[in-house]
Amino acid sequence: MTSSALPTSPKAAAALLIPVLIGSAVAVSLGFYGSLHDATRISLSVPGFSNLIWVKVWLATVAALLAVVQLVTARLMWRPTSGSWVAPLHRWSGRLAFLFTLPVMVHCLYSIGFSTFDLRSLAHSVLGCVFFGAFTVKMLILPKRDLPGWVLPVVGGIVFTVLVALWGTSSAYMFATEGVRL
Amino acid sequence: MKLPTPLITLLAGVVVALALFGGSALLARPSARPAPASVTPSATASAYATASGSAAPSTPAAPSASADAAAAAKVTAVWAGRTDGGAATIAISVKNGVAVAYVCDGKREIWLQGTAEAGQLSLTGAKGATLTGTFGGGKASGRVTSGSTTYTFTAPAVTKPSGLYRATAQVRNAKVVLGTIVLPDGYQVGVLTRDDVPATAPPMDPETGAVTVDGVTLTATYVDGELS
Repeated sequence: MTSSALPTSPKAAAALLIPVLIGSAVAVSLGFYGSLHDATRISLSVPGFSNLIWVKVWLATVAALLAVVQLVTARLMWRPTSGSWVAPLHRWSGRLAFLFTLPVMVHCLYSIGFSTFDLRSLAHSVLGCVFFGAFTVKMLILPKRDLPGWVLPVVGGIVFTVLVALWGTSSAYMFATEGVRL
Repeated sequence: MKLPTPLITLLAGVVVALALFGGSALLARPSARPAPASVTPSATASAYATASGSAAPSTPAAPSASADAAAAAKVTAVWAGRTDGGAATIAISVKNGVAVAYVCDGKREIWLQGTAEAGQLSLTGAKGATLTGTFGGGKASGRVTSGSTTYTFTAPAVTKPSGLYRATAQVRNAKVVLGTIVLPDGYQVGVLTRDDVPATAPPMDPETGAVTVDGVTLTATYVDGELS
């Protein structure tokens, strides 16, 4: 990376800095809420699923699969020629993936809380907060046109990586320990 | 001024999340929690009838009848199993409605004491630890919270030698407390604290309860509802 690729103008730096600060605030707020709110178990049985944990496992799995669609369509968008369907697919798969993560996030925060029990739950808790912060950054910088070209792929890559790590520390763990079931 | 669409996405996400938080708060109200009878599946009610001792009728019965009987009588039962996700193991021993629970992952442990009455579990432990849940139909389910850690569990009724064992002794000037859970598949997990410092418990002979701690053999007793 050359220094010219970095946001050198104050305007570009501010365009990046403010979304990052807001995203950080989102992540920290979620972490605080998860730590301070008394974990409150909610009982809700969803037909077809053995319990709420498995509903979350599958919601997160759908979100992770949509994230792979995100990765592929994002790559296609950076080619000189790409179909007119690519951008709408990227937008809508992203919106859908975000929508699927929301019930999981709410249940994690409301019903379980920030967990430091072991490395897996600690990593999952931290990554969960970081994900929504990173997603906020991504959404806030998307409309900005004066940023260097590398910014969006880097932020998008972080959002993707964190989401896959979240899936790995929860759904994949459940599949590995309990088997693939509903 | 027209909002950029990513901002609309974010705001929509905030609205959906707030609605879900609101829905969760409604669900968490005590009146919204299901009665114990409604959480007992019919398939296990008769299968575990003998396992849960006097808590269940000896003849197969409708699940609601079984749960009602369990609620009315003074409960004596033992439930043991892994917590949801498998991070820890839990055992709950109840004798005449007096309950002892033990949660442990081989490194840390939580001892709780309380009651098991009318299908409801209510136990407390050191440092504000709590266990709340329901039982009936040959199983107990609920939630254990200690500090920032929360476990949810659904544990089937078990019979000796499966269940909870405990030993207390003075060994080499240290106050030693051993807790060990034995599951029906033979899995054993426990924690040994020496002057309140926890460590993984040495293996216990499930037949005799014998455990060798620092060269001294202790005999762990089967916990049936009251801590001695």
